[in-house]
Amino acid sequence: MTLLLGKRRAVVAGVSPRPRRRVPLSAYLFVLPAVLFVAATVLYPLAYNIDLSFRDVGLREIVAGGGDFVGLRNYAAELGRPEFRHALAVSLIYTVLSVGLAFGCGLAMAVFLNRRFPGRNLMRSALLVAWVLPTVVSANIWRWMLDGTYGLVNTALGGLGLIDRGVFWLVEPVTALAAVILATVWTMAPFAMILLLAGLQNIPATLYEAARIDGAGALRRFTSITMPMLRPVNMTVLLLLFVTTFKTFDTIYLMTRGGPGDATTILPIHAYLEAFQFFRFGTGAAATTVMLLIPLLLSVFYFRALRKEDLA
Amino acid sequence: MRFGGRSFRRAAALLAAGVLVAGCGGGAGGDASTAEGGKTVSLWHYYGPPDSATGAALVRLVERYEKEHPGVDIQPRHIPFGDFTRTLLQSAAGGDLPDIALINAFHTEAMVEAGVIQELDDRVAAWGKKDGFFPASWRTTQVGGKTYGLPHLADAYAVYYNTKMLDKAGVEPPRTWDEMAEAAKKLATGGRQGLAVSGIEGDEGATGLIIRILAAGGDVADVDSPEANEALTQFKEMVDDGAMSKGMLGWNEEDVKNQFANEQTAMMINSATYVSTLRTEKPDLEWKVALLPEDEQRLTLLGAENLTITAGSRDPDAAWDVMTWMQRPEVLAEYLPDRNKLPARLDVPAGQDETRAVFQEQLKSAWVPEGKLAGAAGEVFTHIQGALQAAVSGSASVADALTQAQQKIDKALAG
Repeated sequence: MTLLLGKRRAVVAGVSPRPRRRVPLSAYLFVLPAVLFVAATVLYPLAYNIDLSFRDVGLREIVAGGGDFVGLRNYAAELGRPEFRHALAVSLIYTVLSVGLAFGCGLAMAVFLNRRFPGRNLMRSALLVAWVLPTVVSANIWRWMLDGTYGLVNTALGGLGLIDRGVFWLVEPVTALAAVILATVWTMAPFAMILLLAGLQNIPATLYEAARIDGAGALRRFTSITMPMLRPVNMTVLLLLFVTTFKTFDTIYLMTRGGPGDATTILPIHAYLEAFQFFRFGTGAAATTVMLLIPLLLSVFYFRALRKEDLA
Repeated sequence: MRFGGRSFRRAAALLAAGVLVAGCGGGAGGDASTAEGGKTVSLWHYYGPPDSATGAALVRLVERYEKEHPGVDIQPRHIPFGDFTRTLLQSAAGGDLPDIALINAFHTEAMVEAGVIQELDDRVAAWGKKDGFFPASWRTTQVGGKTYGLPHLADAYAVYYNTKMLDKAGVEPPRTWDEMAEAAKKLATGGRQGLAVSGIEGDEGATGLIIRILAAGGDVADVDSPEANEALTQFKEMVDDGAMSKGMLGWNEEDVKNQFANEQTAMMINSATYVSTLRTEKPDLEWKVALLPEDEQRLTLLGAENLTITAGSRDPDAAWDVMTWMQRPEVLAEYLPDRNKLPARLDVPAGQDETRAVFQEQLKSAWVPEGKLAGAAGEVFTHIQGALQAAVSGSASVADALTQAQQKIDKALAG
């Protein structure tokens, strides 16, 4: 992100990129390890997965290799299945709501922490704990807190007189989806906060001073200075949040395993079950490839928008 | 910043050499283990890490073999259950399988289809002791009329009940499912449930309903039936009138055991796995075990693992020797109480323990998925849990939940 912002600033300032020089062949040797590393750990699995998605791969083929080439049949089968379409819909609902809420909370926290007050740094670090905590820990804590018989949430709500009997949060479809969104927002909001805070600190204080002298209130300063100045950062944060949330697997798998029924079966869980529970590797690979396309399209859109803004 | 010319080059050279050495080391390490003239047998399992109660029992068993067979080194490796099949498949694709894999009995057919495990018919014939196994256990080793494993042990489900609570309520351990529903309702007082059963998402949470369907005389592959309807309707009614908790839909068997240990429920349906856990965790808890309720029949779902020799074993003879040694009655008589499981064989003495005797009696009526169902058991069970979830949470009627599950089951069995 800093790289992107850096480039933007360079372009705005009118500094032209350096003229091309001939690069000696030996220089390529220095990047070779990095290239090999990326090829082995990123490109190969990706290509393997895409190759799988075009083949009829069951248990035998996954071990022995091979598998007949079936063209787009796996994709047609997946797209035609109600389970897949359901998982896609759940994924989008889950992602959009989580990103929206995490962004909102993150922005609120960032604006708050952008002021100077005693204990600010301590509070900022404390908030980050939610993001740093391993998911196995946080997801299981959520599971226990939301348990219907001994959960802390029920005890608290019961104590306040809001409920009179145990609510089984993770067992009812709607509350389960709400619960996993809540857990995701709790993790992602501090991440959004730290990025947005970096953006806020780049806005020159003189702008606010000038606005204040002109008589602009707090709300006006926020809508007319903060938001427009944060625009490029906002887009980056939203994209990062979307991509991370869209591919979330652990939080939901640990909390509900995609249940109750298929109420929280997002695409990654659907693909996992397809491949490793039901051993249909071809269609599982097709599902993951589709899963890859959505953030990819968004990224392309994002870079386009960024470039347009640069040119303008 | 600039790198100092010579020192940088030297560092880079050292680094490169280090990588090369590490590479050679890795290559040599593969054979080093078989050096000292002895044999090495690797064994993968999902019972637990060596410091867990269940994992330690297996380690003790393995050490006993090593003591009796100097020169043989067994290397057990624990892989968590959730990752076990995936790891085995990936290792098979990478040509890096262990000698022995201790697999879930219901995964035997899938592992055969994947070409991960070897056929054992000639060895079994030469061994000549296959008739000692429970028929249900033995059936799980059969795929297409051939033998692919040895049953390692068995487990059965039965009813654990809190004797104090039942005495106080004047309730006898139920013998039929109608009695069970009545007893559970009577026992559910003061925020406590009468009966706890695991109903968690996935195939694991299907066991309770499968046992109930079997009791009604139903077919697990045909749930759009009066028998399955009767079973699911009763479970739903028990949840609706508080005899069972809706929380069951989020509980695995361990959670159910905790409900019972903390006296949140008067009865539970669970496997023999928890007998000694309960004894050590809650020594003051007074409880007993009864056979499952009986309507048309009284069948438990068999819980079992099979010992298999993988297709990549470097020493199948040594592996077979370990496997058959583990099935000796005197070895099992010591190992099984330690592991909290039941023998898959008829010739192992039940011992003096009254509780284990009940489980062993229940094991005589065990059900295992067969034929087409055996190959798709995991998926079919998952859909049965789906029906339980839909009906109990109220998102579908009992009839609709079963019809929807049946459509998915038909697809799973056809594919």
